[in-house]
Amino acid sequence: MNTLTIISTAIAAGVATYFIANNLKKGAVLASASVTLVSGIIFPYFFPAMGSTLMVVAACASYGGMVSRKNAPTLLDMVMISAIIGLLFTITATSYAGIGGRLGTIAAISCFAWLGLKNSAKAASRARKSDFLSKSVGIWQ
Amino acid sequence: MKINKTNLRILSLAIASTSLTWILNHQLGLGPIVANGLVGVAAAIFMPGALAGIAYTSSFVGMSSLTVLPSVLFALVGGLIAGFIIITTAEIYAGIGGKGGTTAAAAALVTRAISGLLG
Repeated sequence: MNTLTIISTAIAAGVATYFIANNLKKGAVLASASVTLVSGIIFPYFFPAMGSTLMVVAACASYGGMVSRKNAPTLLDMVMISAIIGLLFTITATSYAGIGGRLGTIAAISCFAWLGLKNSAKAASRARKSDFLSKSVGIWQ
Repeated sequence: MKINKTNLRILSLAIASTSLTWILNHQLGLGPIVANGLVGVAAAIFMPGALAGIAYTSSFVGMSSLTVLPSVLFALVGGLIAGFIIITTAEIYAGIGGKGGTTAAAAALVTRAISGLLG
């Protein structure tokens, strides 16, 4: 249940940042900083039990939301990146605690992971198509 | 790295941003998230795009705990290191969300090593 809450929060924060930065065209820094600031104020107040964790997750996802449109063209890309952020955050909760930049590193790894998955899927799809074509040519020879 | 006006401005901005975030975080007790958010919003409103990005990236270093940055002096050092890394890695992985944080993490780890050596 906690993991699901963390991943949901990450998706909401990441998508909000991406939307503010790209659709509302406010820029990556203002988008991320405002989501971070609002999370830092709202989550501890409205969710006393998990608030401190959720605000950190939201900040982490907002750093991922600073990804450029070139690397994440659609909101779906941002949803996937944010989900990976939520998952990685849960897994690495006690690693390098207290190091400034740790959350951004999680965000960067998540961006690379999603981009890698997408590119691998595209390459596999192209390989399957070319295999199909070469087999088709073989049939007609 | 060339020592020109632009690079000196970047280093100054990085030092100021890291130190301000550290002060808001530890001395005013706002916590790292709110401190970073405040500095980021202020940078985005009052500075042009590239400088706002530099200030925000440097602010991540100031989010470090007292174990990493025990005093504002170490925050100054952390900001300086962050500034150097920003200047030398400007074009690498541009457009990847979290790149700034990775830069800041590198600076924070180096600063922790320095503070460890100095006891």
